[in-house]
Amino acid sequence: MELTYEATSAFAKSFGLIYLIALSVGITVYAFWPSLGKRFDKAAKSVLDDEDGPCR
Amino acid sequence: MMTRLTTIERQGAMLLSGLIAFAGLALAVIGRGDAMGVHGWITLILAGTLFFIAGNAAYAPEPTEDRTKSYYDDPTKIGLLLALFWAVIGMGMGVWVAAQLAWPDLRFDAAWSSFGRLRPVHTSGVIFGFGGNALIATSFHIMQRTCRARLAGHLSPWFVLLGFNLFCIIAASGYLMGVTQSKEYAEPEWYADIWLVIVWIVYFILYIRTLARRNEPHIYVANWYYLAFILVVAILHIVNNLAVPASFGAAKSYSAFSGVQDAMTQWWYGHNAVAFFLTSGFLGMLYYFLPKRAERPIYSYRLSILSFWGIVFFYIWAGSHHLHYTALPMWVQTLGMTFSVMLLVPSWASAGNALMTLNGAWQKVRDDATLRFMMVAAVFYGLSTFEGSFMAVRAVNSLSHYTDWTVGHVHAGAMGWVALISFGSIYAVVPVIWRKESMYSWKLVEWHFWLALGGTVIYVFAMWNSGITQGLMWRTYTESGTLAYSFTDTLVAMHPYYVARAIGGSMFLAGAVIGAFNVVMTIRNVSHAAPQRDYPTESEANEPAVPAAE
Amino acid sequence: MLRMFLKPFARFFEFHARTHYRAERHSMALTGGIILAASVGGFIEIAPLFTIDDTVEAAADMRLYTPLEQAGRDIYIREGCYACHSQMIRTLQDEVDRYGPYSLAAESQYDHPMLWGSKRTGPDLARVGEKYSDDWQVRHLVDPRALVPESVMPQYAFLLDRPLAIESLPARLSALRAVGVPYTDDQIVSAARDAYGQALPDTGNADGVLERYGEETNVRIFDGRRDRLTEMDALVAYLQILGGLTELPAETQPLRGE
Repeated sequence: MELTYEATSAFAKSFGLIYLIALSVGITVYAFWPSLGKRFDKAAKSVLDDEDGPCR
Repeated sequence: MMTRLTTIERQGAMLLSGLIAFAGLALAVIGRGDAMGVHGWITLILAGTLFFIAGNAAYAPEPTEDRTKSYYDDPTKIGLLLALFWAVIGMGMGVWVAAQLAWPDLRFDAAWSSFGRLRPVHTSGVIFGFGGNALIATSFHIMQRTCRARLAGHLSPWFVLLGFNLFCIIAASGYLMGVTQSKEYAEPEWYADIWLVIVWIVYFILYIRTLARRNEPHIYVANWYYLAFILVVAILHIVNNLAVPASFGAAKSYSAFSGVQDAMTQWWYGHNAVAFFLTSGFLGMLYYFLPKRAERPIYSYRLSILSFWGIVFFYIWAGSHHLHYTALPMWVQTLGMTFSVMLLVPSWASAGNALMTLNGAWQKVRDDATLRFMMVAAVFYGLSTFEGSFMAVRAVNSLSHYTDWTVGHVHAGAMGWVALISFGSIYAVVPVIWRKESMYSWKLVEWHFWLALGGTVIYVFAMWNSGITQGLMWRTYTESGTLAYSFTDTLVAMHPYYVARAIGGSMFLAGAVIGAFNVVMTIRNVSHAAPQRDYPTESEANEPAVPAAE
Repeated sequence: MLRMFLKPFARFFEFHARTHYRAERHSMALTGGIILAASVGGFIEIAPLFTIDDTVEAAADMRLYTPLEQAGRDIYIREGCYACHSQMIRTLQDEVDRYGPYSLAAESQYDHPMLWGSKRTGPDLARVGEKYSDDWQVRHLVDPRALVPESVMPQYAFLLDRPLAIESLPARLSALRAVGVPYTDDQIVSAARDAYGQALPDTGNADGVLERYGEETNVRIFDGRRDRLTEMDALVAYLQILGGLTELPAETQPLRGE
């Protein structure tokens, strides 16, 4: 296939949209997955008492 | 500070600075008769000085401290001081160039003192000098605390910090000599660009290695933002600076791209420099220091993840809104506009997340100027991202582009958001790493806060007025269908706003000078605090690491 | 209802979310994610522009910058003129009325780098060429406020006293050829002589310039000094060619009212 301006820009316009929707859905699922909530809470609190863990 | 390095590390420091000094000498010889040669001498002198500092301590005894029991904060300390130094230089230059636009004869009878050469000294001075040093210093601090691990290496943080400052010095001195690629915010020439790539790779390796040492299963979100800052800035920098030097013995080079491709590449860089240099890293600062200072966890960690990926996905497309109505193809303009509007979602998610974190702690915001710096920074972040999305709309852009409105918008972000979050973080971190009871004077922090806020508001309002006035005057027609105003008419109308802008900028600069003074006095005159919980190992104490404000 | 509908996919989503979580625990996976997310967007948007040549209106009469004009362009960059002057007339009626036909992509195809600019503290310069006389340009650069009292432009009087560095011109032209400007070997070899001849035609080097760059080339004393070649010569020569590399914009955009 010849790499013409029409072809590449059409690809940019269509694939770009699919790519973005896929990424957005993926991240939303991840961020709001219920069972991960506890870990996120723990991470959020970790900066406040960030000196408890042992050091390697 | 040298004596805290082992003998091997001190020898390594000598070897490294010796090599860089030698490279400087080579540059001075090859580039003699050109500005590049001057840069060689600058490199030689700076690296030579470091060589002697390291050499002086070569026979000092081995350090006795147990390194696993403490964080390595010496590079952070120097980085913060350098950030304040560049803040004063960069903002001082800003006031000078602002004054030149109001009173154009406010210059010396020398080529270096014209607006065109000084302006990049201002922009690079504040973005890279002040912002960059603040980012590097706070990233060293935050990565250690959130990973509960000491920095992975004792030479590499120095290489990153001092190497980056060498780049800044080469950049700033180059502009005064007329060395520039003319690509906005990427002006330094090819050899400085190559040097920055080397520094940046070491920075990335240091970050990754420290993350690998962490004693936490989860990588705290602040680190994601810093990591995005490091990675994407590297990509942007390398692509946008592709160029062919006219000669390897001189500074001048020609961009690999031309015309419309160059314009798109440049503003893909330019806008993402805003995204990943001036936003991503500073959001990292916000996500660490704001919860820490407010002593409350971030309102929604999930929202911070969402907005992180939102910013990484969306920003990268938005650059073409700098090229509305130009010779750039229409679909690319539309794409840039669409994504710029969508960007409002993750941006406001971040700003809202920060403000919601403070919900329930407003009395702290009232009493503690440091926390207020961060709060107002989040508000300005929200405001300027809204303004940015608005200005990216093609119809609005037709009025705002090429005028001072753009300048006002950038400064709302740079002064209101970037500088305020940096100053807030500096006031939060200085007593911690220098182990001081508090800042030297909380009154001076208050003064700084109000000067900075007042200066920003005056500046931004002046530029809104001048930008919209000028934009409207340009497009005003008389009844007979001819243009109503000549270009000079608009210049006359700008004058009072340019004066107001210089005043606002001076206030902001005065605040920065007070801040620098306060930090120096804290280091010199405030008594040591009892050891706090700020080290990686066991700790039973329950006091917060950041001392609460009085 | 939604729950029921999603149930078959729950395991997939579960896997998906956990993969993400694991990825974030590994810093290199996070690194890869950031690079992928950030670079794909930029690539998709920019890459098609490099195939744009087959749609951009071809300017058959497009000529190259002469060595003197290119040297002037380098001075324009060195002094940071682009910080206050744009070279891009947008497709807006008032801009066309003020500055002339809107800029076409073809016009800056040999501009490495482009100087479209981002701010108009001073007016747009895309079509400033031949709008003012050489003498006006020189006097304006020496002291802008002598001609335009309201101007805030810096003075550039020193350009009149600085001899133009011409030895490096062949190297600069060949660097430009390396990035895509079609200079011939002849043009590169004669670059220094052509720069000299274009601004000092009495020296007998002018014919070569016309031969190599076309009869339309401006060959004259730009700075008013017959005794030497200065940086002022180069900068004025550059300013006078702005908008004059091709006739295409004027041909394709009929004047309003015609």
